Amino acid sequence: MGKLDRPHLIEAGVWFLFFIVFFIASFEFNQPIEIYKFGATGWPRTILLLLLLVMFGNMAYAYYQGHALQQGRVGIADDEAEKTSYDRATFLRVVTALGVPFLYAISLKPVGFYAATPFFIAAIAFIFGEHKLKNILLVTLIIYMIIMIIFMVILNAPLPQGNTSPFYDFSAFMLRMNTKWQQLELW
Amino acid sequence: MLENFIAGSAALFGDPFTIAIFVFGVIGGMLFGAIPGVSMLTLAAILLPFTSDLEPAQGVMLFAVIYCTGTYGGAITAILFNIPGAPENAPTAFDGYPMTKQGRAGKAVGAAVLCSAIGGISSALVMMAATEPLAKWAIRNIGPPEIFALVFFGLAVASSVGGRTIWKGWLSVLLGLMVATIGQDPVGGIERYNFGFADLAAGIAFVPAILGFFAVSEIFVQAEKKVTGKYDAPPVGMSFPTILELWRYKIAVVRSILVGFFCGILPGIGATLAAFMGYGEAVRWSKDKKSFGKGNMEGVISSETANNAATGAAMIPLLALGLPGGALTAMMVAVFQMHDLEPGPLVFYNSPDLIWIVFAAMFYANLSILIIGVMETKTIMYLLKVPFQFLAPMILLLASIGSYIGRGLVLDVVVMFVAGILGFLLRRSGYSIPGIVLGIILGKIGEQNFAQGMQMVHYDLVTYFSRPICTLLILAGVLTLGFSIYQAFQGIKQKSPAS
Repeated sequence: MGKLDRPHLIEAGVWFLFFIVFFIASFEFNQPIEIYKFGATGWPRTILLLLLLVMFGNMAYAYYQGHALQQGRVGIADDEAEKTSYDRATFLRVVTALGVPFLYAISLKPVGFYAATPFFIAAIAFIFGEHKLKNILLVTLIIYMIIMIIFMVILNAPLPQGNTSPFYDFSAFMLRMNTKWQQLELW
Repeated sequence: MLENFIAGSAALFGDPFTIAIFVFGVIGGMLFGAIPGVSMLTLAAILLPFTSDLEPAQGVMLFAVIYCTGTYGGAITAILFNIPGAPENAPTAFDGYPMTKQGRAGKAVGAAVLCSAIGGISSALVMMAATEPLAKWAIRNIGPPEIFALVFFGLAVASSVGGRTIWKGWLSVLLGLMVATIGQDPVGGIERYNFGFADLAAGIAFVPAILGFFAVSEIFVQAEKKVTGKYDAPPVGMSFPTILELWRYKIAVVRSILVGFFCGILPGIGATLAAFMGYGEAVRWSKDKKSFGKGNMEGVISSETANNAATGAAMIPLLALGLPGGALTAMMVAVFQMHDLEPGPLVFYNSPDLIWIVFAAMFYANLSILIIGVMETKTIMYLLKVPFQFLAPMILLLASIGSYIGRGLVLDVVVMFVAGILGFLLRRSGYSIPGIVLGIILGKIGEQNFAQGMQMVHYDLVTYFSRPICTLLILAGVLTLGFSIYQAFQGIKQKSPAS
């Protein structure tokens, strides 16, 4: 096995799975193009083949050199790569930190930006280390107001409104308020 | 040329409303470039519908100004937060962010201000003097095979920076190229890899992907440090570099101007490749290669000079040939079309006033980077003092809005967060985020030009390689690649604790 270890094998497995999924999916659009000899699959399949070759190169490197940094590389991210190990509680906190923004993104379609955003700000502030309720509420209010003033009032940017009640009604209320505000003609 | 420039300046500064638009563009471009999470593209996308109410010259000028100052503004976030405001600022972060962590943020930002201005002004001057002859040269000598060859060279350079090994660098680039194949193929318009989602038929928009891979993944990295108790707020260093310090890098500046201008002039390539190649050349010619990526000011200077030098040059294919060099120049084509104008050779004869207002505005916008840039930077640097738990939700929200606004699809926000999670995991494993992003940006361009090139030469490789510029660029790419592979099998530089 040389210097290959479990993370290397998992890594190779993930790339191989990626290759298989995309290669099989390429049969769905395997149609000839009259004006182009290589068709719609030529380019992606070439990339997939190169990916497979490079994956073997990556494994060969790992076999001989393990996790060592290659000589002469520049611009390497200083992310404590492959060094961090978590206990169960920390792992859960990291997963939550990654998961909450993703949930927010998914919720935008049914809930809308206007209703989902305050909860998102509060949740992120809490997960990222702010545990005083007063501070969380204050920061949520300030950030929400800044975003609304810039994007809703000044720039009139179209933001997701949601498609389920009562969230959609709340978005409609916010937009009505903005329209009334714009019609005040204070300036 | 001078007469036209004076006439353009007079038209620009002779009308208060045009001045207001110019100032708005300068400040807006810098701010949106310098606020982590949004970019000049966000501002441009929001403003696009409103340009129909402006005069054609005002609309095009506004976007040109945003392009110049936004390209500079993106360097600030790259240096201070490791979040490039635009892909062309990605190589700036390689050395800029380590400088911030060393308390030398002021020096990095100061270098970026000065070199962005120098690169932009030089480019604007060359653009004014040589747009027509350069466009004619480009028409004669640059075709799809040369553009594909340059894409290959650019990807070879990108694969050699950022990843822990050449293999991981190439895996990153290939992943980006695969992501770029999602959507319609550029030759026959056949849908690829939509996996049953109708929204994916339009492909993965690169703005959400960029925001996800750069901004969101960086927030996740910092969040992990916060959770594991390893987070250290970077010190705020306000000292700017002296003229003497910067003078030492004069050769790097000249080299990057040439690289930036060459890349910018080629349609579809733009400032991103210019920045990567400027950085790559700086490493190649440096006597102290090991210091790159650890806070070498030359890294910041090279990439920032090159990307701003490309902004003026990118106007040449746009104005002379009607071919946009990137996302923002593509929006400028839309501005032209809104006013029933077509960018191309006829614009020089039909609308010379428009051309010279744009040229003059770009010159003054680059000049204003020097003045407003320093003032703005001192303010922006105080963002470093904001506690991370308050800054993070703001950045994530701005990034969400930035992703959504381009196409009005919630899917883009989901793509951004998926890219963020993926970027977080890949960075931990030593993959190159800039490599992935460059793959996404250049993937479609590469495929399209490869296909067109092959059709041009009737699939005959001998004819393909009989074009000198094409052969030279492919050879340069192969040599870069070969050298990296050779290095891969040389001695071990550093062992990680896991091994």
